[in-house]
Amino acid sequence: MAAVLEVQGLSKKYPKKENFAADEVSFSVEEGEIFALIGPNGAGKTTTIRMISTLIQPTSGDALVAGHSIIKEPDKVRENITYLPDEAGAYKTMTGINYLNFMAGLFAKDKETLDKYVARGKAVCGLGDRLEEKIGGYSRGMIRKLLLARAVMTEPKLAIMDEATSGLDIINALEIRKMIKTLAKEQHMAFLLSSHNMLEIEYVSDRVGIITGGKLMVVGKIDELKERYEAANLEEVFERVVKNNEVR
Amino acid sequence: MRFGNLLKKELRELITKQAIISMVFTMVLLIVMGQIMGSAMEESFDTSTITLCNQDDSEFTKELLAKVEASKETDINYVSLESDDYAAELERLGIKNVVIIPQGYGESIIDKKEPAQIKFVSKMQNGGMAASMSTMSASDVIETIESVCTDEVLLKNYGLSDKDITLIREPMQLVEYTTLNGKTSRISASALSAVTMMQSMIAPFAIFFLLMMASQMIMTAISTEKIDKTLETLLSAPVSRLSVLSAKMVAAVISALMNAAFMIVGFAFYMLGMMGGAVDDISAAVNTPANVDMSAVADAAADLPRAMAELGLSLTPVSYVLFGLQLFFTLAIGLSISLILGAMATDVKSVQTLTMPIMIAVLIPFFISMFMDVNSMSTVFKLIVYAIPFTHTYTALTNLMNGDMLTYWIGLVYQIAFFAVCMFLAVKMFTTDKLFTMSFSVDSSKAKKSGFGAKKTASK
Repeated sequence: MAAVLEVQGLSKKYPKKENFAADEVSFSVEEGEIFALIGPNGAGKTTTIRMISTLIQPTSGDALVAGHSIIKEPDKVRENITYLPDEAGAYKTMTGINYLNFMAGLFAKDKETLDKYVARGKAVCGLGDRLEEKIGGYSRGMIRKLLLARAVMTEPKLAIMDEATSGLDIINALEIRKMIKTLAKEQHMAFLLSSHNMLEIEYVSDRVGIITGGKLMVVGKIDELKERYEAANLEEVFERVVKNNEVR
Repeated sequence: MRFGNLLKKELRELITKQAIISMVFTMVLLIVMGQIMGSAMEESFDTSTITLCNQDDSEFTKELLAKVEASKETDINYVSLESDDYAAELERLGIKNVVIIPQGYGESIIDKKEPAQIKFVSKMQNGGMAASMSTMSASDVIETIESVCTDEVLLKNYGLSDKDITLIREPMQLVEYTTLNGKTSRISASALSAVTMMQSMIAPFAIFFLLMMASQMIMTAISTEKIDKTLETLLSAPVSRLSVLSAKMVAAVISALMNAAFMIVGFAFYMLGMMGGAVDDISAAVNTPANVDMSAVADAAADLPRAMAELGLSLTPVSYVLFGLQLFFTLAIGLSISLILGAMATDVKSVQTLTMPIMIAVLIPFFISMFMDVNSMSTVFKLIVYAIPFTHTYTALTNLMNGDMLTYWIGLVYQIAFFAVCMFLAVKMFTTDKLFTMSFSVDSSKAKKSGFGAKKTASK
């Protein structure tokens, strides 16, 4: 399968900071694959994700999304991705349906496509009649579902989600995980996720990359990693990589 | 104990470094303004000396003036006018007002037993509270003159009967002239006070609120987008950064334009209403069932529009448009600065702090223009005050009324240039990753130390 995302030695150093927030990060994500970046707080997950989302410019290195460079062709990259930031909100005075319409309008080139996007968004979010209400009155779970629907309704080649289920209750989190799995399987969408939640990652992702101190230490399939580290679960692998810098 | 703990937390949240800075700033501003106002008041309200030009050499007049001088309260400073161009004469003599007793005053009262005219010319000051104060001090001088000129004892000494005195006193034959910028008009300074009020109080207030409102609006809009991360979503969508930025600006400008338009219409009607008020005064005077000569009363009130035109105080449609243009650019500058500052916010509290620079930049010219005439300040001070782009709008109305077009145009060009720079910075911010790497949060070290309010800054 073709790589939708090809990250090549991506580095970022923020002004006035001594260390690199992301240091020579390289990995790839294939079509229909769910790839998760896991790491402790401040490990460089969000920085890496923001660079791939064309929000911040890398200090060195590059990444190709569907063959387009994030440095040279950020516009082309944006046509192929959607990004769901961590703890993101939506415009409170808009109704859910207006929000989907507004966001679809940024991607669609004609009315027909727009309607198709919105119809899919409506189906995915599962909010039903509540879409007619203002977002200001939504619960956290509802907003997250709406945003997730927004992120996948345009059928991007790569959907980037920072902490897709953070702050959600178990039922909502489960629904969203299922949604992601189904979309990857049926629509062949690629997902780049970030998370702290090992359980979630074990359930949802095909491959993981463990990042700490800006460095991507290990990449592999979950079962493979467990075997490599002779660990019972992903949490144990994670702990050994992050705490002991153990690379196998 | 628990209450104390809570109180300590609340105080720490409320009394921040920024809050103290703004408190000190307000205090210093008020102290400085008080000093300036104080000296201006002292000058304006000094009515112990009357400047007088006596053109009448009758015995009566001489005795009248001697009586005034004999009184402890009032001294007379005698001047002589060389022409009827009062504006020029006041300028030449360096005085603010003058009482003129015309030739034949004594003769008219004593021999003809007829009311006679006394003229009072006062110079209106430009802009600020000083303008309003100059009209106030004028009314004090008038009161003094009135009481002296109708002194019963003196008039009786000259053989006038009670009836004669009543006749002379009733319509106080005071003819008032006001000069402004070398122009003279027959109108009392107090009748013009509505105009000066508009210049010195209402316009600055309106500009101040308009600016603050518009700035707050866009600042909240952009910072909410940043804090809610809807901005990240927008900027990762296939739309150009410039269109995101320009949509925000254009929307803000449209709403600012609407604001400015409403304000200009309001101004126009305010001016109209004032003239309507003057007309009401006349009809009220006409309805007064008294045996008085109406002409003096009517003179004072009837001709406000004429006087305003003569003094150059009326605004032509062109001036309204020019003032609107000025207002528009001020708003555009305020909006672009707010956009940049708002985009730096990382939490709600930092938004409040980031409002401060704009607040100060708007407040300084607001206070200054309210209390004094910027154009008559020393060059250095004037340049400093005019470096604040908002000052130009506060003075635009006065400049337009005075026909000082050069100052107006320089101001407008400066504002356009200032706006261009702000926009350039805003564009730069939006097209690079400055938007996400540059951030401003309130005293994070302190917040961490105290253990609350530690907001998450851009997570790495």
